[in-house]
Amino acid sequence: MSGLLGLAWRLLRGGGRRGLLGSGLTVAAVAVSTGLLLFTVTANLAFQGRADRGAWRNPVAATGGAVAIEAVHLDYVNERPITVVDVAALEPGAPAPPGLDRFPAPGEVWLSPALAELAAGLPADRLADRFPGKGGGSIGGSIGDKGLVHPEELVVVRGQDPGSPVMAARSAVGVDDIAPTRIADFTGRRTDDAIGYQILALIASVLMVVPLLVFGGAAARLTVARRDQRLAALRLVGATPGQVVAMTVAEAVITAFGGAVLGAALYFLATPLLTGIEIQGGPWFVSDMWPGGLAVLAVLAAVPLLVGLSAVVGLRRVVVSPLGVAKRETPPAMRFVRVVALLAILAVVPTLGAGVGVGVVATVLGLAFLAVNLAGPWVVGMLGRIVAGTARKPAGLLAGRRMIDDPRAAWRTVSGVAMTGFVAGFIGLLTPGGGLFDHGDSSALRLSVPPAEVAEVTAQARERLSAAGVRAEVTVRGRAEGAGPSPRGRDAAPTVLVVSPRGHDVASVDRARTALDGLVPGRSATTAADDDRSGFRVLGDIGTGTVVVLAVSFLVAIASAGITAASSILDRRQTYALLRLAGTPLKVLDAARRAETLIPLTVMGGGAIAIGMFCALPFALSAMNVSGAITLLVCVVLGFAGVIGAGAASTPLLRSVTANPAPRPD
Amino acid sequence: MPSFPNQAVGRSAGTPRRERVFAMSVVLEGFGLVKRFGPTVALGGVGLALRAGEALAIMGPSGSGKSTLLHCLAGIMKPDAGEVRLLGERIDAMGERERSRLRRTRFGFVFQFGQLLPELPAEENVALPLMLGDVSRGDAVRRAREWFGPLGLGGMEGRRPGELSGGQAQRVAIARALVTRPAVIFADEPTGALDQATGHDTMGLLVDATKRNGASLVVVTHDPQVARWCDRVVEVRDGQILPGSQGAEPSPVPAGRPLSGETTGVLPEVAG
Repeated sequence: MSGLLGLAWRLLRGGGRRGLLGSGLTVAAVAVSTGLLLFTVTANLAFQGRADRGAWRNPVAATGGAVAIEAVHLDYVNERPITVVDVAALEPGAPAPPGLDRFPAPGEVWLSPALAELAAGLPADRLADRFPGKGGGSIGGSIGDKGLVHPEELVVVRGQDPGSPVMAARSAVGVDDIAPTRIADFTGRRTDDAIGYQILALIASVLMVVPLLVFGGAAARLTVARRDQRLAALRLVGATPGQVVAMTVAEAVITAFGGAVLGAALYFLATPLLTGIEIQGGPWFVSDMWPGGLAVLAVLAAVPLLVGLSAVVGLRRVVVSPLGVAKRETPPAMRFVRVVALLAILAVVPTLGAGVGVGVVATVLGLAFLAVNLAGPWVVGMLGRIVAGTARKPAGLLAGRRMIDDPRAAWRTVSGVAMTGFVAGFIGLLTPGGGLFDHGDSSALRLSVPPAEVAEVTAQARERLSAAGVRAEVTVRGRAEGAGPSPRGRDAAPTVLVVSPRGHDVASVDRARTALDGLVPGRSATTAADDDRSGFRVLGDIGTGTVVVLAVSFLVAIASAGITAASSILDRRQTYALLRLAGTPLKVLDAARRAETLIPLTVMGGGAIAIGMFCALPFALSAMNVSGAITLLVCVVLGFAGVIGAGAASTPLLRSVTANPAPRPD
Repeated sequence: MPSFPNQAVGRSAGTPRRERVFAMSVVLEGFGLVKRFGPTVALGGVGLALRAGEALAIMGPSGSGKSTLLHCLAGIMKPDAGEVRLLGERIDAMGERERSRLRRTRFGFVFQFGQLLPELPAEENVALPLMLGDVSRGDAVRRAREWFGPLGLGGMEGRRPGELSGGQAQRVAIARALVTRPAVIFADEPTGALDQATGHDTMGLLVDATKRNGASLVVVTHDPQVARWCDRVVEVRDGQILPGSQGAEPSPVPAGRPLSGETTGVLPEVAG
């Protein structure tokens, strides 16, 4: 075995310049795949990490003895949300909240680093005046990373006395508010939002991983395709099938391992860029982008293994018969079963709906994706027959015949972009339009007030505002008036104090917020726009996610198109060289190559977009809207430009393999 | 004897070799051809004339420069010095595009192996050069099919190169080389990948088909058996033609001589 490994290694190294170029292409393909695979794995782990780090702010009521009380509400500054966590210890031994080194004493305030920085940067009457406990408290410290969802998150933890009105049992009023809850520890539970993000990340992963696997497999077979001749020769001189398989797989695995290591290195070099992707209102911790040693090792082991497996599949033909490669025969036609599989899965799609579990949806989506990939070569073969039958020019004839001859190869070139079309079609329908919701009013602050205290609170509010120098109109809305835009808590306070600062600008609103801080215990004044903010953030994040998924898909698609284009030239270099020698213009060969790619791209790209849209129908929020259409259009343009560009990039290679027509020395 | 589609009218089949060819005019000529690859001199000032309808073998051991000579004569390579003339017209000074067009229209090529596009059926492989010359696909395929019977390929029209034997594939290549009615066929070790008997048959067909179609033939080979089929043999050693071989005799045609009626009359008119 070690002798075989040694021979495989020598064959790899002794492959000559073109052999090296081929191995280089494989290394590049595997590197891109590995890097993106690591990104996908990490993204899921990172969202899980965020969900876990944020869970302590979503308290679970203690069933036995409680040690503390926790309440959460949102305050705002500069149109950004601040998570305000009030905690009160019921027992001396209460555990410290995550990110804090001890339980805050009553009156103590702990700020997240981003909030502390913001407080220092803005005028005190806009933000800082809200914190250094007006009741004589002090800054206890800074909240560590363990307690923060992301580094830019604005969080304040306030120590309270268990008897303080802030901790008094009451119902939640704000959209994102959590009423005081008696807790046994700070484990908490992942928020619905966080779980939603994890699900979206999972769907995005499926959309990214399937083309990655297809691409990686293509890269593996690419190595084998070029070694066909040599392996057949080895078979002819008497190597056993086992030895041939072992050597090829060893060669593929060695190459793939090199690519995997390179890909991992590239991934880690790219992490500073990746941490900058803002989702959920902020970028990522550097540690979020480290998937863990075990995951890295798993990917580094799995990628070469998968490549080796793919190589075995590609080798089957050579091993069966030593002449299988030397003699080139008409390949058997693709079975129609491939299309049936796709149709069967598409038939299932309409039965899906909002009520179906996310696992089922992800599975069906993944299967539909794979089925498109399965049906692709069949359709390419059909197209080839049509093109070859109707071609009038040599380029068209060549392209058509080539598509019939090896529909899988033609499909590999365009599969990436077609898969991206699927993603774009799917997401295109799911992208909510900007016009679907109106931004709420951002200038009028509203504060729910217990009916009994309205008069007193109103007077205090006027007093505080004038003391702070904020000129504002203060009105009281009753139950009937407040029904529309009022906070949507189940037992929403019936009376709402509406404060409209004269300035209407962000700074005036912030100063009014600061002035009103603590007026009603455990509540902050919010605008209608504030209450919509988290909803808009989710929509914005879906947009960001779409861009990331599409960017990854395009990277894969264009890399795949470029690599297959180059390898197809390497595979046919002798015939190309002899044809050119006999006077065939290079541009005919180029035109054939282009047609061979563009015809399937047009048909399959369009088909995949349609299938993607069809799969999204059960979940569609609305009909195709402008932004979805623009996303799709950009995809189509980028896809075509990318594939044409990748193909054009290999024209110099075509020129070079055909330029030296005298490969023989004499 | 089979009848070839392009067969020149008025020429009797089975003409004894080495008789009439010397009376004919020169089709292709090289003067003082020099080609270097780095420090290696592949051709050291070679002169050679090919007459209409003549079959010429260029022999020599590996590394002697015989393939380089063929590449220079066929306009594939530009010589470092010297001239190549086709029917009196200089082709070595032409640009790559022009030489490409020339190779496609006036020359035909038969290589050792690997020249047929594996994706195309045999008849489309033969039709390809015609289609490149803007012949309609229907006409091109129809004209290509005419070659299959005479070359012993009847019934193979729809087969792909992978489904043909080595000898059959070479005959398809011969058909493809001749289908455009070229003035000269260049064959580089055309039987190199075949067994002796098949090589013998293939060579016979190549010489016969070329002559019947009024074209000249240049064969590069290291095999004396192959060379025996030709009217004339020149031996190349170290980039020079051996003095004893027949290629060294002085050219009877002065350089720059305009095309004569006699020369063009030998070439069949290209139909379509």
